[in-house]
Amino acid sequence: MRRRAFRLGCLLACLGILVPSFAQQGHPLTGTWNGDWGTTPTQRTQMTIVMTWDGKEAKGTINPGPDSAPASVFLDVINWMVRIEADVKDQSGKPVHVLAEGKLEDIGAYHRTITGTWRQGTTNGTFKLTRD
Amino acid sequence: MRLPALKLLALSAGILLGFLLGSAPLSGQRAPSANYENDKKVKLSGIVTRIDWVNPSAFFSVNVKDSTGTIAAWAVEIGNPLDLQKDGWKPTALRIGDMVTVEGIPARGPRRQAMATSVVVARTGAKVFVPSNKKAVKAASQPAPRWPDGHPRLGPPPGKKGYWGTPSSTVLVENTGVAIPMNRDGLLANITDSDKVAPFQPWAKAVYEYRQRTLFKDDPYNRCIPPGGARHFQNSYGFQFIEQPEVGRILLLLGGGDRNWRIIYTDGRPIGHKDELVQTYYGASTGHWEGDTLVVDTVGFNEKFWFTNGGLPHTEALHLTERFTRSDLNTLRYQVTVDDPQTYTRTWTGGWTIQWVPDEEIQEYFCEENAESTFIR
Repeated sequence: MRRRAFRLGCLLACLGILVPSFAQQGHPLTGTWNGDWGTTPTQRTQMTIVMTWDGKEAKGTINPGPDSAPASVFLDVINWMVRIEADVKDQSGKPVHVLAEGKLEDIGAYHRTITGTWRQGTTNGTFKLTRD
Repeated sequence: MRLPALKLLALSAGILLGFLLGSAPLSGQRAPSANYENDKKVKLSGIVTRIDWVNPSAFFSVNVKDSTGTIAAWAVEIGNPLDLQKDGWKPTALRIGDMVTVEGIPARGPRRQAMATSVVVARTGAKVFVPSNKKAVKAASQPAPRWPDGHPRLGPPPGKKGYWGTPSSTVLVENTGVAIPMNRDGLLANITDSDKVAPFQPWAKAVYEYRQRTLFKDDPYNRCIPPGGARHFQNSYGFQFIEQPEVGRILLLLGGGDRNWRIIYTDGRPIGHKDELVQTYYGASTGHWEGDTLVVDTVGFNEKFWFTNGGLPHTEALHLTERFTRSDLNTLRYQVTVDDPQTYTRTWTGGWTIQWVPDEEIQEYFCEENAESTFIR
C-alpha cells in the first residue's frame, strides 16, 4: 500500500515537473482554454474554447462537440485585450449572443489566463479561461 | 559643464560597448540575460562549502559573512566543466574550506547567486578557473575537401577528425546591412530597434518585445528545451556532419543543447506536408546540392521552443531553407531563409559563418530537459 502511494507520488511529481516543458510558444491565443463564466462566484458555467490563428485572423470554437459554437476572436496586442463574440444556445435552445472581453496575462507562461467580463444575452457576468 | 562632443561620443561608445560585451565570465560562456544582471557587479569573500562539477554548469557554494556577522550561502557559477577542463582546470583547483574572493555578475532577483568573473584562493593567492588565452591556431587556408563526385565534404577530410565550432554570430536578424546593437543573447540595446530585426506581424512584434522586456524569463532553453530551428547553430558546443551518400542522408549531430541530432534526407524524397508530419523540435529535413551549396528545407516544427536566440516567435507554419557552403577547409557559411506567413509579413534571410575545429570530436555537453535547477540555485 505504502509502495503504491510512493509510486503514485513519484508519478505525480514527474507530471508536475513535465508540465512547464510543453509550453506553446507560438501565437499566444492558440490552444485549448478551459474555465467558466457566471454572475456570482458560486453560479458558474464550465466552458472550453479552442482557439486557432491562421496568419490573418484568430478563430474560436466554444465547447467543441454537439453543442459547439464558432466564435470570432480579436486580440489587441497593444493592451493584450481579447474580445470573443459568438452566437450560442441558451438552456432552452434559444440563440443568444455572447460578447466577452478580457485581459490576456502572463503570455509567456504555459497556463496563461484570460479574465474579464462575459455578457450572454442580457446577462452580465465575469469569466476566467486558463490555457490547457 | 558641457562635455566636448568628442568626449561625449567616446562615453556613449563606451557605454554601448559595455552593454554589448558585458563582464566576461570565467569560462567565456555567456551569462544568460534571463538569469544574470550583466550590467552589475558583486564581490564576495567567504569559505567554500561545496563544489558541484556538473553539466551543463559547474557551481561552488560560499558562506559569506556580512558586517553584522550574519552568514549567507552564495552559489557561484563558474561555467561549463568541459570549457574549464579544456582550459586545464580540475575541480581540485578549489577545496572545501578554502577562503576565496569572488568577483562576478549577480543573479536577477533575490537569489544569492553570481556568475564568477574572477576567483582568487587565499591559501595560494592564485586566480583559479581563468580561461586560457590560447588562441586557436588557424591553419593556412586550404580548399574544402571533396567527395569523389565533386561535392564538398561537410565533415573532416578522409582519415581525420573535426567538427564545426564557434559561430561568428549568436543572433539571427534580417540581413539588411543595418547594424542593430544587441548582446550575445539577442537582447536589444534599444527596444525601438525591434522593427529592424525581422518583418514581424503585429502580434509577433508584440510577443518579441514582451520577451525582450521580460529579459527572456520564459525562454524554454533556460529549461534545456531543445534549441530547434537555427538556434542549435548559435551554440558554442558545435555540430558535426556525418554524410552517408550511400543511403541518401546526412546526419547532423549537435554538440550543445540536449545533444540531439537531425536527419537530412538527400535521396530525392519530397518535402513533407505539414498535415502528414508529427511536429517536432527539429522538424523534417530534405536536402539537395546547388553547386557547392547544400540546400536544406525543413518543415514540421512544433511551437515549444524559440528557433533563435533573442525570442523571435514562430508557428507550426515555419519553413526554414538553410544553405550550407563550405568556402574553404575552415569556413562554413550558414544562411537561413525564414518563411512563416503566420508570424512574418514576408520571407527574410539572415546568417553567419562557423569555424572548423580540427582534430577533435564534438564535446559531451549535456543540457537535460527541465534542468532549470542546473542554472538557478
